[in-house]
Amino acid sequence: MTDTHIAPEMWAPATRDGAAAEYIAAPSLTFWQDVRKRLWANKPAMLGLGFIILLVLAAIFGPLLSRHTYFEQNLKLSNIPPLFQTYEVTDGAGATTRFFFNSGNLNLYEVTPSGEVAGLLRATKKDLIKKQQQFKFGDREVVLDTARQQLSFADGAALAPSGWQWNMSHWLGTDQLGRDVLARQLYGARISLTVAFVATLVNFFIGVFYGGLAGYLGGKADTIMMRVVEVISTIPLTLYVILIMVVFNSGFLSVVLAIGSVYWVDMARIVRGQILTLKQQDYVAAARTMGASTPRILVRHLLPNSVGPILVTLTMLIPSAIFIESFMSFIGLGVTPPEASWGTLTSEAVETLRAYPYQLFFPAAAISLTMFAFNFLGDGLRDALDPRLRT
Amino acid sequence: MTAYVVQRMLLMLVTLFAIITLTFFLMHAVPGGPFTSEKILQPEIQAALNAKYHLDDPLWLQYLTYLKGVLSFDLGPSFKYAGMSVNQIIAEGLPVTMKTGALALICVVALGVPLGIVAALNRNRWPDTLVMVIATIGVAVPSYVIATVALYVFALRLGWVPTFGLDDWRGYFLPVFALSGFWISFIARLARSSLLETLQQDYMMTARAKGLRRGTVLFKHGLRNSLIPVVTVLGPVVANLLTGSFVIEQIFALPGIGRHFVLSITNRDYTAIMGITIFYAAVLMVMIFIVDMLYLVLDPRIKYRADAK
Repeated sequence: MTDTHIAPEMWAPATRDGAAAEYIAAPSLTFWQDVRKRLWANKPAMLGLGFIILLVLAAIFGPLLSRHTYFEQNLKLSNIPPLFQTYEVTDGAGATTRFFFNSGNLNLYEVTPSGEVAGLLRATKKDLIKKQQQFKFGDREVVLDTARQQLSFADGAALAPSGWQWNMSHWLGTDQLGRDVLARQLYGARISLTVAFVATLVNFFIGVFYGGLAGYLGGKADTIMMRVVEVISTIPLTLYVILIMVVFNSGFLSVVLAIGSVYWVDMARIVRGQILTLKQQDYVAAARTMGASTPRILVRHLLPNSVGPILVTLTMLIPSAIFIESFMSFIGLGVTPPEASWGTLTSEAVETLRAYPYQLFFPAAAISLTMFAFNFLGDGLRDALDPRLRT
Repeated sequence: MTAYVVQRMLLMLVTLFAIITLTFFLMHAVPGGPFTSEKILQPEIQAALNAKYHLDDPLWLQYLTYLKGVLSFDLGPSFKYAGMSVNQIIAEGLPVTMKTGALALICVVALGVPLGIVAALNRNRWPDTLVMVIATIGVAVPSYVIATVALYVFALRLGWVPTFGLDDWRGYFLPVFALSGFWISFIARLARSSLLETLQQDYMMTARAKGLRRGTVLFKHGLRNSLIPVVTVLGPVVANLLTGSFVIEQIFALPGIGRHFVLSITNRDYTAIMGITIFYAAVLMVMIFIVDMLYLVLDPRIKYRADAK
């Protein structure tokens, strides 16, 4: 082992400096600055937040920018996929026709060079016994064998696909009534998010009012109010949403009303718990001594201090509202057609699942990703707001 | 203890009464009678039907009659299926719903808890990551999406299982999987975080310090304590398995109560909606009650008193 040289000044006693001990290395942060900092460091939560912001922007501006409307139908162009394999046929005169074969409904569609779907190609002859259809392109003839789903020339030579083309007129394809899937998807996002946000807001007000009142009044009033909550929470809430929907008929407003009027119980419980502990604090007594009224104490002192758990509950309520709305729409109790929500889009896609399974992808992905985003954000918020986890 | 049970029973009765009342008046608040349809009935037939089903009685009398019926376990006739009573509809659908529901519940407990334990014991290693990724997906993807994707892949594409019905034992796979997917993930996450918290308790260190075997420490001290939160959510799990069956039975065309319920909604069969709702609510309350009692057995620290809370 070699000697380690330590500089002689290192052996000198350290100077005791009172000011240095008092020096605060990190900047002082308020509670919310700290929360923001820790939320910012939480990658999944930030990803979730980013996704939600993008989604909200898309829901607001998407339908305005879209070339199609959510209700415009074109039965000639129904069930067009977003991506297809094109074929090209050049006739004797040198004119080239580009088209693709939709295997779900056994139709040929003409495609422009820029990738837009121009329209349906009519068969010149249909042979139902041989299961063949003939198409004429100038002087050339193409035979479609619908049983084997093959295209060939009249002389029997197989037609080779010329390449893949993304659908430029309907980016995500069309549904069974020929409506643009992207436009419906964006409109569905609008409906689903509005339902979720408004219903959550309604829940928030009822829950905060009820829970705050119960917690603040305490005693007999609290006992009775909490008994009522207990009774409500043993009732399966989904059933009540369904019953309310049956009474008020399907539609956007009744979905909001049904979800909003039922799911406030958790919020009321949490707010009550918070208020019960907070009202023992000295600053409440101080406020009361100075003559502050009950509503003022509730709104200015108690609620702002319980905002953390309320916020977490809210972020968790939104995805469950989206989920319940889509559940209702799925069993046929949601918004009425032609309006669309993610739930109705999913259930429409399920109807055509056998022939066009890819139609399920977009609404299902939209719901699932939104659920992910809100769950991540909620988890992140909870971690950031929990003082016990502070490092 | 006995006082607590009695109090819970009373509360259940009050709740059930509230449910019956609420459901009855909600269903009678629907505009139009049960026989309002596109086909206009002759006034005499309408009157005869109303008289037969006591619809011409004043509302309070109808309510009392219905209440009396429910108390004697008679949920009245169905308005849409002539000759069928709501009791018959329930009796027909119950076995199917119970079977899939019970299997799903077994799956939730038998898969969710072990997955959570494996994840907690291998914290931050690959089994933990794997379980958490699966669980996060399971919580975020709605059950009907899982159901339809599974239906497409396993029944239509691969043909391993039938696309509908329960005639074949393989028919149970997909509905049970779709029904329990969310809750397996939920329970796995819950069991993991709960066990992680328990593992850090002082009594765990004491148990290990006094030389108990690893297995004993884990199962007797760790698991038993960490399973308490899992047991508490089992009540809501049962509730959600039942309501979840609305969609699942619809997708897989199972003749259970959930499908009857959705059918009666689309048919506007008000007595059936009312009866099935009350039946569901009663079953759920009993289930939640049983779970609470289980909780009592599992956690000796909790001593229920009648005036507790």
